[in-house]
Amino acid sequence: MLTPYVCVACEKVIAAKDDVASLIGLFSRLIVTVPVEIEIPPNAATPKEWAVFSIWFVEPGDEHGEYMLCTQILYPDKSQFGEITKIRIKIEPNKRSQMTMQFNGFPIGQIGEYIVRTWVEENQQRVFGPIEFGLGLEIVRQEIAQTPVKASSDST
Amino acid sequence: MKYRCPVCMFASLPYPPSNYHICPCCSTEFGNDDTDFSHRQLREMWIDNRAPWFFGNPPEHWNPWTQLIRAGLASDVPKEFRAVSFKSSSVAVGGGHVMAFSHFDQNLGLVSVAA
Repeated sequence: MLTPYVCVACEKVIAAKDDVASLIGLFSRLIVTVPVEIEIPPNAATPKEWAVFSIWFVEPGDEHGEYMLCTQILYPDKSQFGEITKIRIKIEPNKRSQMTMQFNGFPIGQIGEYIVRTWVEENQQRVFGPIEFGLGLEIVRQEIAQTPVKASSDST
Repeated sequence: MKYRCPVCMFASLPYPPSNYHICPCCSTEFGNDDTDFSHRQLREMWIDNRAPWFFGNPPEHWNPWTQLIRAGLASDVPKEFRAVSFKSSSVAVGGGHVMAFSHFDQNLGLVSVAA
């Protein structure tokens, strides 16, 4: 049975040929900087690439199963953002399975802790999990400095 | 067969975007609205109006901004949504126990792990 070894959120995963993955920019919170007068709508999403990277212990016989890694993102009020993402877990005998779930946007419509929830399915039945971790979101209000208007000289 | 709206990028139009068909997402009537305005202009108008769903109930978990981002139009998302920075560490799970890395004021940068 697959069991988790590591599960993290990061900005980018670079996978080398030798199965070494480089995780760039591990993060646990996001900061959105917006002008004071701007209201962020509840459905807002930022176009930022990020990933959930996980490594799974594999037991003998797991290579015969067809496992799907499922990831769900929950708003602070526990409603779901977007679809549940599912990718097939590639399993090789005697080797930990590395998975990268790539996302190209992140919801920013609510302040607080978003939950990344991950589990494993086989034949559409949950066989492991869920495991979950939080990603906090803060909104920083920024005053926009007024640029002084240069007085124009009248040449006439 | 499904078609993509060239204005809002809704990817499940049941009809081609032509012949006075109306996009249920952004309300563009093809052959009418897009004779007066370009698709880009219509998209800008839809976004200026906060990208609402037009007809009936939207698909479950529908989000106009991820719809644009997935279609490669991230630059059309309002710029006030884009000033986002990722901070600090993340959380790891091992042996059935949740472990948190130490928190840092800055990103951890690059970490390498081998399977």
